[in-house]
Amino acid sequence: MSEPGSRGPQRSTKGVRAKSRPADRIFLGLSTGSAASIMVILAGVALFLIIQAVPAIMADWQTNPDLTSGPTGGYANFWTYVGPLIWGTLFASAIALVVGAPIAIGIALFISHYAPRRLAGILGYLVDLLAAVPSIVFGLWGIIVIRPFLLPLSDWLNTYLGWIPLFGGQVSTTGSTILAGAVVLAVMILPIITSISREIFLQTPRLHEEAALALGATKWEMIKMAVFPYGRSGVISATLLGLGRALGETMAIALIISPAILVSVRMLTEGENSQTIAANIALNFPIATTLQREALIGTGLLLFVISLAVNMVARIIAGRAGKGALRKRKKMLAQLPPSDPSTVLAVDDVLARKSPAVHTEGADDPEPEIDREEREGKDA
Amino acid sequence: MKLKNVAAVGSLALVTALALSACASGSGSSETPAASATPTTAAVDSTLTGTITAGGSSAQANAQAAWTSAFTAQAKGVTINYDKSQGSGGGVTNWLAGSYDFAGSDSPLKEDQAATAQTLCGPGGGINLPIYLDGVAVIYNLPGVKELNLSSATIAKIFSLQITTWNDPAIAAENPDATLPATQITTVTRSDGSGTTTNFTNYLSQTQPSIWTNPPSNAWPIAGSSAQQGGSGVVNTVKAGEGTIGYADHSAIGELSSANIQVGTGTDFVPFSAEGASNAFTEAAATVDTGVEGDLAQKIDYTKITDADAYPIPLISYAILCTTFPDEAQSTLTKAYISFIASEVGQEVAAKNAGSAPIPADMLSQIATSLELVK
Repeated sequence: MSEPGSRGPQRSTKGVRAKSRPADRIFLGLSTGSAASIMVILAGVALFLIIQAVPAIMADWQTNPDLTSGPTGGYANFWTYVGPLIWGTLFASAIALVVGAPIAIGIALFISHYAPRRLAGILGYLVDLLAAVPSIVFGLWGIIVIRPFLLPLSDWLNTYLGWIPLFGGQVSTTGSTILAGAVVLAVMILPIITSISREIFLQTPRLHEEAALALGATKWEMIKMAVFPYGRSGVISATLLGLGRALGETMAIALIISPAILVSVRMLTEGENSQTIAANIALNFPIATTLQREALIGTGLLLFVISLAVNMVARIIAGRAGKGALRKRKKMLAQLPPSDPSTVLAVDDVLARKSPAVHTEGADDPEPEIDREEREGKDA
Repeated sequence: MKLKNVAAVGSLALVTALALSACASGSGSSETPAASATPTTAAVDSTLTGTITAGGSSAQANAQAAWTSAFTAQAKGVTINYDKSQGSGGGVTNWLAGSYDFAGSDSPLKEDQAATAQTLCGPGGGINLPIYLDGVAVIYNLPGVKELNLSSATIAKIFSLQITTWNDPAIAAENPDATLPATQITTVTRSDGSGTTTNFTNYLSQTQPSIWTNPPSNAWPIAGSSAQQGGSGVVNTVKAGEGTIGYADHSAIGELSSANIQVGTGTDFVPFSAEGASNAFTEAAATVDTGVEGDLAQKIDYTKITDADAYPIPLISYAILCTTFPDEAQSTLTKAYISFIASEVGQEVAAKNAGSAPIPADMLSQIATSLELVK
């Protein structure tokens, strides 16, 4: 908020119609400052991570007495230390996504297309509430409830599917497995994926859905043909945002998993759970010496980069798909005769972008409308 | 563009969630109130006022809380903040940065830290004073087995995963009276860096260098154990599992059974007791010559613990402070507090409230001598 008004004159040359009053300029300054502060904060964090991490990344890990003992002892260099941690982070998050994303999308679909209106409201509220539970609570819940709960399943998987590397190895007796951690992670990312997917499913153009139903599709076929293609990119970006959350999760993982710094795909063992970056920092930071702290900050830098990349990909997918689809639709509408009633209907649909949750009543649109909507649905 | 807004809201939620989790992970930094303040009659100057800021070792946390409440009960104008969330390493780092009056640490200053301390404290440097004594207990959960005797060799083999079942001949030989099941052994260790781990691995590498080949370390060196966060995490997991065995500060183990440890190579297996730890300290701890006047850094030679009255795995924790404080009032205050800790009354307060063992009287008088050097 340091440069109020510095961007004011620039803005006014772009043709602001109203006369600029002091309150306008102050508000402009404040909001511009707020926007700028985001950039400053992000850059500051990145700079801090880089400056702090460089000494540890550059150091000789085999001879430096600070690094040869304690949490960083026994690694050839920074990259052999951080490699397994990156693997662990991605692996735990991937399991969480595999477990969590389908359920989250299922919930979203139920809320948007199946549930009675009132139930949908309550469910949506509950899912949002889940996002407000602190991760330490999830961690304790994981230790006390999920760990023992998953033990019989772990035994079963190990006994009958142990030939698959994922389920192999010496099965855990305490339950501190990466599976338990990932299940809790999955619950933690549910609200993110669900709430975004729900919004996107609700935006499916009503005409697409009605067209599908009118062509004789069952409800599931309608969802498959109209809702999923329309919402695909949105759901992908929701999932990636969930992944971003899972990547950075600390406390739940630190509390639940019995970690080791190694690359392993085993999910049910006591001693072969790959540690994640965030949990490793939390667990070792208090005891670390100065250079070890810098090494831990270095692992944090890589986590920062990974999270940033995931979030950026999510935003790009969401942005591109949204923009592309609407532009395409507008272009098509422009080619129609403006007074045609079906045009009016379609324009309303695109501009209002509001459709009720459920509508099974028969479509009474004129015939060509369905044809066009069908065509558009494929394009989108 | 609604779709974009949704994504923006999502990422906002993400950021908030991350911020929340960051908050959660920083919890537990405030000082804990003492379990019960014991009214004592040690010589504390009741006219003292001021604030002592310190932090470090979480092993000392309960004892520090007890000392704090006993001390401030007499010197009402004094506030003492001991931040246990820092751990030993963080405590020393903050002390070296000049933000603490003293640091609590499970290991004395390393050479480079001692050199840094000279820039902080002047040529006198910093001194390590052993103020807290406890034992590392080997805890287990094996239904039906109430008493368990273990030698250092067996412990080393169990924790290096060479012995994997409870009915192993090596364990059976030491426990002729117990019925040992064929249960798989699950070793439970610390996933976070810890002074307890340093003490325990030090014990193993000194007593059984041929079996335990890893150097002493504050991070558990062997993969394959069930690694848990914090002493309480280890205790809870040992309690919850079956056939589990772990190590923890004795003061933190609660009602769990802990093994009797063989002293030396004799036939005596000793359970933990406060006197046992004190005896072991007398027998095995020797002051290291660090070249700093008044420094009482100890080196424990575990192989010297052979007395049947001594507990073989003692754990020492230090208060580290400057010999010359930048501020005289702060010096007087900190000296008074550490003197109180290193008095017989202070040690008794910790023993009663935190379950620690008293430091032998001989060492207490040496600490008093060292404190006289502090200006």
